[in-house]
Amino acid sequence: MTFAGLPLATLLGAFAAFGAAVTLLYILKLKRRPVAVPFSRIWERILRDKEATSLFSQLKRLLSLLLQLALIALVIGALGDPRTAANLVEGRNLVVLVDASASMQATDVAPSRLEAGKKRILELARGLGGSDRMLIAQMDAGTTPLSTLTGDVAELEAAITKVEPTEARADFARGLRFASDALRGLGKPEIVVVSDGVLGEAKDQFGPVDLGGAKLSFVPLGERGNNAAISSFSVRRYPLDKSRYEVMLEIVNAGADPIDVELSLWGDGQVTDVQRLRLGANERLPRFYPNLSGASKTLEARLALADGGRDDLPADDRAYALLPERRRAKVQVVTPGNMYLEAALLLDEYLEVTTVSPTKYPAEGRFDVTIFDAVAPKVAEGSGSLLYLGPTGGDLPFELEKPVKDDDPEVPLGFDDIDEKHPLVRWANLVDVNVALAQPIRPGKDDRVVGKSFKGPLLVEGRRDGRKFVALGFDVRSSDLPLRIAWPLFLLGAIDLFVEEDTSYISSFPTGEVWRIPAPSGATSATLSVPSGAKVPIPVDEGRAVYLGRRSGFYELEAGPEGNRVVSGFAANLVDAAESDVEPVKELKVGEVMAGEVGGFTVGVRREVWGYLIALVVALSAIEWLLYHRRVTV
Amino acid sequence: MGILDLFSSLPLFSRRGGPISRRFGGAARASAEEDLFDDEFQRKLETLAVVSKRVFSGAMRAERRTRKTGSGVEFADHRDYVPGDDFRYLDWHVWQRMGRLLIRLYEEEEDLSIYLIVDQSASMGFGDGEKLRHAKRLTAALAYVGLANLDRVTIVSANDAIEGRMPETRGKSRIFRVFRFLKDLRPGGETDLETALRTFAAQHKRRGLAVLVSDLYDHKGFEKGINALRFAKFEPFVLHVVDEKDRRPELRGDVRVYDCETGDEREVTVTPRLLEKYEKAYDDWLASVARFCASKQVDYFRADVNIPFDELILRVFRKGGFLR
Repeated sequence: MTFAGLPLATLLGAFAAFGAAVTLLYILKLKRRPVAVPFSRIWERILRDKEATSLFSQLKRLLSLLLQLALIALVIGALGDPRTAANLVEGRNLVVLVDASASMQATDVAPSRLEAGKKRILELARGLGGSDRMLIAQMDAGTTPLSTLTGDVAELEAAITKVEPTEARADFARGLRFASDALRGLGKPEIVVVSDGVLGEAKDQFGPVDLGGAKLSFVPLGERGNNAAISSFSVRRYPLDKSRYEVMLEIVNAGADPIDVELSLWGDGQVTDVQRLRLGANERLPRFYPNLSGASKTLEARLALADGGRDDLPADDRAYALLPERRRAKVQVVTPGNMYLEAALLLDEYLEVTTVSPTKYPAEGRFDVTIFDAVAPKVAEGSGSLLYLGPTGGDLPFELEKPVKDDDPEVPLGFDDIDEKHPLVRWANLVDVNVALAQPIRPGKDDRVVGKSFKGPLLVEGRRDGRKFVALGFDVRSSDLPLRIAWPLFLLGAIDLFVEEDTSYISSFPTGEVWRIPAPSGATSATLSVPSGAKVPIPVDEGRAVYLGRRSGFYELEAGPEGNRVVSGFAANLVDAAESDVEPVKELKVGEVMAGEVGGFTVGVRREVWGYLIALVVALSAIEWLLYHRRVTV
Repeated sequence: MGILDLFSSLPLFSRRGGPISRRFGGAARASAEEDLFDDEFQRKLETLAVVSKRVFSGAMRAERRTRKTGSGVEFADHRDYVPGDDFRYLDWHVWQRMGRLLIRLYEEEEDLSIYLIVDQSASMGFGDGEKLRHAKRLTAALAYVGLANLDRVTIVSANDAIEGRMPETRGKSRIFRVFRFLKDLRPGGETDLETALRTFAAQHKRRGLAVLVSDLYDHKGFEKGINALRFAKFEPFVLHVVDEKDRRPELRGDVRVYDCETGDEREVTVTPRLLEKYEKAYDDWLASVARFCASKQVDYFRADVNIPFDELILRVFRKGGFLR
């Protein structure tokens, strides 16, 4: 018997102190309450007889003192946490990684693999040895510890109830690294993975995961993997006709048998298209829906078995997309006359264009965008963002280099270097544009050069006094740009950039990744409404709200300064063919380490003596109370 | 006309507020002592007096005979003539027959002296003091009956000495002196019946009925006190005041009991079993008191404080001893 709690010296000291206190109180208790009687001779008569039994009476009193000392000894002994030799064997330190990825929602094991796993973990927690400690962590796209490393079954049970399913892929490497870090330096480390085995390779950008000597155990879940899924779903508006859009999706049969499925496409809650398809074993089938119209906001793809039944994983049978919201932009064109410019602006019906001559600038009203065509008047209030085409004049927000001509037949003047990822030129190919006469732009410190020739920057984006501008360093009429399809794409891309209508809008985010959602400029924090209806505050970094998405569905982001909050929506999808392959894996291997079966968890093996000691104290106190109040011991 | 009617007819003793409270207690006070001899009590006294006359009329003519020989009409005995005797009482028939001069002795009829001795020791006032209050009522009732029978009534209070004395009086109109005397009694002191009653006997040459109203909690022994009366030729009548609370004390647990008179202490752990033993010992002690009185032909009557005094007095009448 060894004390695992307070040291023996402390226990003895405590017993001495409390024992002395109890003895003192006992002695004080012997000072009896004085009570008057009318005639003490009668009492003397019976007490003479009673003195014969005084030895027994004194013994009873001594027993009372001994009982109190015994109670103190038991309580102090419990504080010492005595352990038997069997329990002195060093306890295990376990980290249980609960796979909460999308595949764990498979219903081949009722009610789901995750619920079955939670039940199994509960059995493990209740079967912990007296010295064992366990930590429960949820493993999905991230790893979230749900308890401390503890032997307290109640805490572990509470942690198990916190495990929630996600619709994301599990980051197995991250989970294993978390577990091995948590167990570093602890005796008898063991990592228990509760999963269907659909985890992928335990490898990340740092290489294969090293378990650090921890024993790896595996609790396999799942029985079969009959599943069809939407593995890809994307929608976009046509840049030149934003009232129309196209959808691309891919469905996959992860099972080993051919299945008939019904694929339906819903726009704004209305059925747009229904198809019956037959998928062979492990077949991927891409579908393309061009030139769709009708839906203005939401799109949803639904997959169901043709016979009306459900596959093993319903979570990947739906995919969502949100079309970028359209609004009418007000554009002011300050030009002495430019047919190419005016014609290009006619292509977008959502533009409200006001053309004004330079002498009549500014026109009445407030505008989102003002296009200065070969002019540069002083910018009036209400002009919005600025697009300079062939800038000249003295009221420019930037400086110009000397004019350059296309006078070298070997090296034509044009765009030699283009930032192709910039939204301005994402859909416009400016590489082959020939320029006859240009005036390179001298960019400011924070300006961004989008395109430049070997003679200097020709396309610059920047901001002055909070006002965005884009400058093209040549008159389009001095180039062949107006003759190219790139011209209207560039022009409309610039306007979209100004009104923050991203033509490269991502129709949906994949779950399990850190989303960087475009937020209004100036916002530092945002509120995200998740599909469950809850509102989550999330940070905004460099104009992007950052969030690790775990659930698919429609989201709403609210950001911006108070009184001018901007609400934007987006969708998130589990479009992961690997995650949709829910065929359970019966063996788990991490590097060269093969996971073994869990063992050593038997309900009722906990032997913590202190608990029994406290129970004994309670029982003795109850008996003493009963005897005292029944006047047996007094 | 009863005593109440007698006094209530006077303006001084109108029924409003009660004659006793006005005369002795003051109008404002309403303590237990004030209520001791209230109107109701006085009415019962009158009833008791009537009952006593009805029961014993004809047999006693409301007077008692002493054993004293003297000038009565009923022959009692002879004794030898001694010089100085009244010649009228010489029995000439005996002289003629036997030639001896003998004096005829007659039983002398006289009113009896009743001594009511009230124990006022601390034990009588123990607890709520009900024993002393009960003793006062009983004493007052007996005194009234005695006074109504034209006996000479004397009341003394005693503990370890004679503490107070109401001089001999007769006639029921003197009952208010009795009330006043009894009201002024306060419990205190140790019980020493032997010393007190020896003193009593020495102070009272006229023998008579000595009614001892006491709880008999005498550490030196109640027997000595009673014997002191017997040996002094008094006729002892023991009215033993008992209280059920003394028999069943409300004690529990570890206590230190001390005597309310002597202060003697004993440590005791009171258990139900011990209380049973105490109860038995108390009953044994009561039995020993009764046994002693019976053996010495002393009239003994147990007066429980829980029985109304008038009922007790009637029981006393029935038992005999007090009224002969």
